[in-house]
Amino acid sequence: MDASVWITLALTLKVAGCATVINLVLGVAVGWLLARRRFIGREFLDAVLTLPMVLPPTVLGYYLLVVIGKRGWLGAWLQNTFGINLIFTWQGAVLAATIVAFPLVLKSARTAFELVDPQLERAARVLGLNEWQVFFRVTVPMAWPGILAGTLLVFARSLGEFGATLMVAGSIPGRTQTLSVAVYEAVQAGEDNVASFLVAITSITCIVVLLASGRLAPTVRAR
Amino acid sequence: MSFEVDIRKTVRSERRSFELRVQFRTRARRTVIFGPSGAGKSLTLQAIAGLLTPDAGRIAFGGEVLFDAAAQVDLPARRRDFGYLFQDYALFPKLNVRQNIAFALQPGLRNPSAHAGGDAVEKWLRAFELAEVASQRPDELSGGQRQRTALARALVHSPRALLLDEPFSALDPELRQRMRQELDDLLQRIDIPVLMITHDPDDLDRFGDEALYLRDGRIAERPLAPGAMPSRRTTVA
Amino acid sequence: MNHPHPRRELGAALLAAAIATFSFAANAADLTVSAAASLTNAFKELGPAFEAQNPGTTVVFNFASSDALLAQIAKGAPADVFASADQDAMDKADAQKVLAAGTRRNFVGNTLVMIVPSDSTLGLKGPADLAKLEVKRVAIGNPASVPVGRYTRGALEAAKLWGTVEPKAVMAQSVRQALDYVARGETEAGFVYATDAGIMKDKVKVVATIPTETSVTYPIAAVAGSPNPDAARKFLDFVLTPAAQAVLARYGFGKP
Repeated sequence: MDASVWITLALTLKVAGCATVINLVLGVAVGWLLARRRFIGREFLDAVLTLPMVLPPTVLGYYLLVVIGKRGWLGAWLQNTFGINLIFTWQGAVLAATIVAFPLVLKSARTAFELVDPQLERAARVLGLNEWQVFFRVTVPMAWPGILAGTLLVFARSLGEFGATLMVAGSIPGRTQTLSVAVYEAVQAGEDNVASFLVAITSITCIVVLLASGRLAPTVRAR
Repeated sequence: MSFEVDIRKTVRSERRSFELRVQFRTRARRTVIFGPSGAGKSLTLQAIAGLLTPDAGRIAFGGEVLFDAAAQVDLPARRRDFGYLFQDYALFPKLNVRQNIAFALQPGLRNPSAHAGGDAVEKWLRAFELAEVASQRPDELSGGQRQRTALARALVHSPRALLLDEPFSALDPELRQRMRQELDDLLQRIDIPVLMITHDPDDLDRFGDEALYLRDGRIAERPLAPGAMPSRRTTVA
Repeated sequence: MNHPHPRRELGAALLAAAIATFSFAANAADLTVSAAASLTNAFKELGPAFEAQNPGTTVVFNFASSDALLAQIAKGAPADVFASADQDAMDKADAQKVLAAGTRRNFVGNTLVMIVPSDSTLGLKGPADLAKLEVKRVAIGNPASVPVGRYTRGALEAAKLWGTVEPKAVMAQSVRQALDYVARGETEAGFVYATDAGIMKDKVKVVATIPTETSVTYPIAAVAGSPNPDAARKFLDFVLTPAAQAVLARYGFGKP
């Protein structure tokens, strides 16, 4: 076992961490919008945004490859305007993991917001709070357990993302080879010891994260 | 200090549609809007507080226009400077008594800390005998304590009027009489205009310096005969 | 009076369907061939020819990088025939004792080539040009698990170019993936077999043939303890017949 395992772990945590933070913000924003605003096509939008959850990751990876690859319409534009190419980069891995895991936090956040008692928000308004204050001081804290659960699912899913990541980011040790991809490669090369070690590292990481996040949302006390 | 209200609002739900058409003006210190359930009392009070936007009309308090559909004025609730007591109190369940009371005084995006203090908060904790339960959460309080906490929360920022939504309906009957007395004493002390909505005739007797009768979304001309008040509303045609 | 029991009938029907589904895999007349990814097109054409000569036998193909196939076989996957793209993978198979004794033989040869996207304007002529700054990424099979990657590394090391190329390497899971990367233009160059370059003539062009230290010969063998040893041996004989060799030659494979 060489030090590259720790590099792989660090890279995996970086990719999963970024995907989780992006999804937390996006999930809360879009989840709130779907929960609180009525507009034409609302349920259709919800269905479209949930699609990544039912599409196989390799299918998603293929769509991404076609769209953001050098010959894709978005990829070509990024290349020409900013000189950015996302294929084979860790940012591309973040994009793949973010899209794949987004529905998990969207569903949780939307439901959590729908269950917040609007009377509490009215109380806050009449006590003098503006809409941002109502959102951060009343709505989000009440919806927090649901949002947190969704965020954890996003993290776990991002940590284990493989199919779309492999297609978009490839397998470049130290740059885009995440733990899941490394496990796959080790199995392919017949290196069982390495594979077992990587699997153990991944599992321990997930358990640590789950336990740590349990402290962020204490369970409801039994009456 | 007078309330001037002249509003129209249509509320639609799956099965029915309800039209509120309310006009009144009152200069009394204590005004009671009295009517059966479903008459539109809560809607009226919420409109006055800025929690509900009428379809048309005008609302003014003390000469200041709070809402005017024609002139496109609609002051948001946070700028109307009223204290509001909700029927079920709407206390923040994850904050303790102290934090609930201090809520309006805390600026910014963070809630008051668990040990929030300050002169105003301490004054109300003492006045309502809540000092001992100050660190407890609403689900650990008795009905009377919850009501007092909600009142303290509404009054802590010195509002210019108090709006009360069925303040005693959530309490046990035995408690109601005592709480009426407490509220009466409080109102003698703080002396701000009060607008209360209720379907309880005892509230009307106690607090109704001016009485307005609301039925089917409209203010009635004269009071209904005693005992003619159904307690459940059937669907409106 | 007979009362039908809808629930029981439904349960029986579901059970029968499940059994039928799972027993599909146990069809005794299936010959399973695990073959290196570069053999995909050629073998798919040989399959029906073999079936025509051996009525009652269905050929099922499994294409991936040679090492990945070996990993499956070593763990008990029911393959009958293993065709690998280099001796190394077959040696590993031998060491793990998964081959039927005496069945190993070489059956085709191939060449290593360097390719670029067909619309490339960089004017690359050979591996030495990969040192240019405009070349940012090079598609190479992962040497740990893909034979073409091993050939590539061996050739580049011999030419003392591995140090320059390796930092730009994008590891592909199989030779076909390396081909795909170049065809899409995601890498400026790549290393594949001549036979693979021939599959995508419109998307890639060959700029150099790379001499390898050991010639690229493909061995094929029967798997020990497989479900269909007789059909396996027939297939091994089949690929060496002139007719089959002609098909392979059409795809660019050479003599072993």
